[in-house]
Amino acid sequence: MAASLPSQKARPDPVQQVGATFAWVTALICLAPIPLVVIVATTRNWADGFWAGGITMRWLAEGWQQISPYAWFSLRLAVLILVLDVLVGLPTAWLIARYDFPGRQLLSALTMVPIAIPGIAMALALILAYPAMRGDGRLLVAGHLLYTLPFFVGALVAPLSHPRLRELEAVAATLGAGTVKRLLFVVLPQVRGALLAATIMVVTLSMGEFNVSFFLFTPSLKPLPVELYSAYITGRVEQAAAITLCFLLFVIPATIALERLGGGRVGQA
Amino acid sequence: MEKPQRPGMWASTLSAPFLIIVLTLLFWPLIILAQRSLQPEAGKGLTLALYGEVITSSTYLRAFMNTAIISVLSTVLALVICIPAAIYIEGKGGRGRKWLAVALTIPLSLPGIVIGFFVILNFGLTGVVPQLIERVTGRRELVLAYTFWGMLLGYLYFQIPRVVLVMRGAISAISQDSIDAARTLGASTLRVYFEVILPALRPAIISASSLSLATGFGAFGTAATLSRGYRVVPLEIAAAFTENFKPAQAGALSLLLMLITTTILFGVGNLDTARTRRRRASTREGA
Repeated sequence: MAASLPSQKARPDPVQQVGATFAWVTALICLAPIPLVVIVATTRNWADGFWAGGITMRWLAEGWQQISPYAWFSLRLAVLILVLDVLVGLPTAWLIARYDFPGRQLLSALTMVPIAIPGIAMALALILAYPAMRGDGRLLVAGHLLYTLPFFVGALVAPLSHPRLRELEAVAATLGAGTVKRLLFVVLPQVRGALLAATIMVVTLSMGEFNVSFFLFTPSLKPLPVELYSAYITGRVEQAAAITLCFLLFVIPATIALERLGGGRVGQA
Repeated sequence: MEKPQRPGMWASTLSAPFLIIVLTLLFWPLIILAQRSLQPEAGKGLTLALYGEVITSSTYLRAFMNTAIISVLSTVLALVICIPAAIYIEGKGGRGRKWLAVALTIPLSLPGIVIGFFVILNFGLTGVVPQLIERVTGRRELVLAYTFWGMLLGYLYFQIPRVVLVMRGAISAISQDSIDAARTLGASTLRVYFEVILPALRPAIISASSLSLATGFGAFGTAATLSRGYRVVPLEIAAAFTENFKPAQAGALSLLLMLITTTILFGVGNLDTARTRRRRASTREGA
């Protein structure tokens, strides 16, 4: 997989050295804001500097109180989206992975189309087409479903079409296992990791989705990122940091788990 | 190993839920969007007036220019930073590389608005960088957050993990033997980059750029949090829809933006698909 480096080399490889510098500096820049969020969220008066006026838990307590209803709403929405993704995406992933038919390439491309469409355009199109469905949140569900489906299907096609899995199934079949048995005891255990990765992916993508939600939310159906945004625009910086911290505490462990499971994905910014 | 089967009656219905969803929730709404942008007043004929307005309005043209500039610039910077970083991460040995991989994946899960807030924390009026500078020099400087440069930093932040991810999948295309040969012949590191590494990574650079450009064009959250004057197209769409109540105009802008992002992703991104499809079968980030 990796560029094979002869380890016996005596002098350091300049390409690797340059790479190491770039990688470490970039990682530092990517991660630096996170401790900064912690510091600002626990500082009494950030405008006067680091921990000016002492450390306080006030912002975190107030922040959590402010966003917890929205966090629960977002979590419920994400779980609903996950269920819908499984119902809609799993059969399609199976069809693409296992069958050869005219239009297979087209179907595969279709599952990727929502990635190419800016969330804001998708949301606008939904509002114009179904204005009556905005109030009860159906459009919010539709937007999140479209946004997450490509990633869900994409995460499952490759593992489902893996040759080793096909072999195992063939072996099970010759030993007399029926379709249901093969699905439950051969396929499911083999793709468990990919399914878990797809699950984490869908939940974090949905919980962090802003571009679609911003146009489709209603005051009573407001996802967490929309509330985060209003804190950024109107709130105190300490409280905004506290709310962000609550959000990060959820997504960052999920991302680390995802990277360990070998899945990476690309959402919209 | 058995060959892929042809689906029977039962299997071909598997994609029905997906097709229904895509047709009703994506294609039909997009058709309505197009229709509204071409026929802003119900009952009257089709007109290209709204598109004409985009082409003649200096505000909208400026927004398209701004979006292109910030997307291209952030993409180029991300490539410069991420190619060497990806080579190192995919190299052999050490736990450090694994941690780097995780560290560079974290920004992926952050919504654009949170990235915008990070820039504010670092370079806002009370940002940590201006505060530190004030402590040393007595003057608050580098308050970049709401300027073009602050926005560029935000865009770069969300491009980095995307480009790293695509690049990491392609590093194995670099032949260490060629690098060693080039170095034995006396090539400098820069020359090794331009004559060995970059040509080997060409397909991945194309997919990474197309992904990164399309993301930049469609980015809304980061711009909404950071922009005070540097207007990009998604902001103009939002303004046309929510502030000026001109949904048809917003629709025309959205369609143009969509045309750009889909062309970049499916057009440019697929130039090299034939060559890289096999390799990409397991890493679909190219989309």
